[in-house]
Amino acid sequence: MEIEVIGDDGFGNDAYSHLFDDIMSDLNKAVLIEKAKLVLRPETPLFVFSIVLKAEPTVKTIPDVSNVRVEANNIHLTIVQERYAPAILSSLWGKYGRRAVVQQTRFDLDVIGAKEEEIAQIVVSSGEEDKREILGAIWRTMPEGIKNRKVLMDGNVITVVATEEIMRPEMIKEGQAVHEGMGGAEVV
Amino acid sequence: MRGWEVPRLFEVMMYDGGVYRSEELFEMIEDVGGVVLQKNRSSQMLMVTMSIPGEDREAITKLCTEIGGVVKDVPLAGTEIAVVGPTLGRHHMPHPICDIAEEFRRYGSVTVVMGMARGRGKATAQISAVERGIIEEYDAVVFMMGNFKACVEKKAELVEGIHVPTILVSGPHPDGVEDKCEAVISGVGRKASRMRTPPERKKLDEIADTMEAVLRDKKRSLEEDPLFVHPAEVKQVLENYEPIDMCLRPAPMVLHLDGLRVKIPYSEHKEYLENVEVFGRKLGEVADIAPSKIDDSSIIIRIKTRSQVADEDAAKK
Repeated sequence: MEIEVIGDDGFGNDAYSHLFDDIMSDLNKAVLIEKAKLVLRPETPLFVFSIVLKAEPTVKTIPDVSNVRVEANNIHLTIVQERYAPAILSSLWGKYGRRAVVQQTRFDLDVIGAKEEEIAQIVVSSGEEDKREILGAIWRTMPEGIKNRKVLMDGNVITVVATEEIMRPEMIKEGQAVHEGMGGAEVV
Repeated sequence: MRGWEVPRLFEVMMYDGGVYRSEELFEMIEDVGGVVLQKNRSSQMLMVTMSIPGEDREAITKLCTEIGGVVKDVPLAGTEIAVVGPTLGRHHMPHPICDIAEEFRRYGSVTVVMGMARGRGKATAQISAVERGIIEEYDAVVFMMGNFKACVEKKAELVEGIHVPTILVSGPHPDGVEDKCEAVISGVGRKASRMRTPPERKKLDEIADTMEAVLRDKKRSLEEDPLFVHPAEVKQVLENYEPIDMCLRPAPMVLHLDGLRVKIPYSEHKEYLENVEVFGRKLGEVADIAPSKIDDSSIIIRIKTRSQVADEDAAKK
């Protein structure tokens, strides 16, 4: 993840670059982010955090995040992306009941009486959820008192413009400029 | 026979070890005329902070080693220190604040961590009179600020008007705040991980050493007009009072430099405390006894100085 920090406070710039990296890594979001730009103006105060995701979060079904194969009229799943394991389990339990889902190991499970076509249609994560999680992670990296926020989201670019009290038009304009600079669409 | 009495200088130290044969240690502390300042037991581990005559240090150290423990110097023993962050939110808590509090504990202090109700933000941060009152119950306070110089300089207003020694810890070094607090330490701002690296550990030592120096000044000013009775002696008197003895809260009595905090309800026990005898005087006569500003479940005892007691006695006559 490439992080660019713009601001006048030398200590703050360095600290926020580390904070952003640490928090995104802790929350497993660093792998999703290609680059980030942080504009820090604490004297105003105005903070613009903009990120470009490696790919736009889309709807994920069970075959997108696991290997599915038919075994003796049952379905055997090998989970490939661990972060979706809880969602896979809860959606299978909801559809087929706990007795029909036999978990052999952390990543391997059998679904008794399931059909491959049915499994292929089960959604384990909508793109919206992913975006919400990433947005939550950005908010967590921002200073706590900066509560008045405006979010610009478009394709794989997410920009948060934040200030402490009144969000002035020129602040939004500055945020939009950063958003467009990161590849986001022009906001009309 | 010598014509003068050799002063018995007391030294504070901490035993850190197991509970095995700890009774022998307590017996020895009693035999040499020492006092147990703090006792923390966690499962089979035991930490005892004690004040003992200097000439018996060697014997106590020998026994501590024999029973499998280690002896540590605890320069902040007998103090209660508050570490205050702008809020208790995850942005300000927990890493640097908890690390600083933990460092003070290693130096022998009892610490509490506090956040203010409206401490966040640059323009909107504020501290209430109640919060100030609570902070002033402690021997000293560390205010932990963030990473931006402009914010730290603005929020340094929060520490103004606090009448206990204050250390301001922040990321960048703020200008123009030296008159607002006893010391400023920079280099520790908001962090998302624990302070583990050698430079960070060094910074924690610097904070604790600064606190030691600041409290040394406070002790020196107390020595100029000594307290009527040492807080540890009041502690010894109160130790056998059943509600304190049976109190399940950790450290039911905490020593301060000028008194102590007793963790029993004020309304139920004020009468006993005011009338309990200490060196032939009622405690209520030689100390101010008041409920804690946190709530009614703790009592703050502030021991009066000898001159204060003498003045009050003279006024009564």
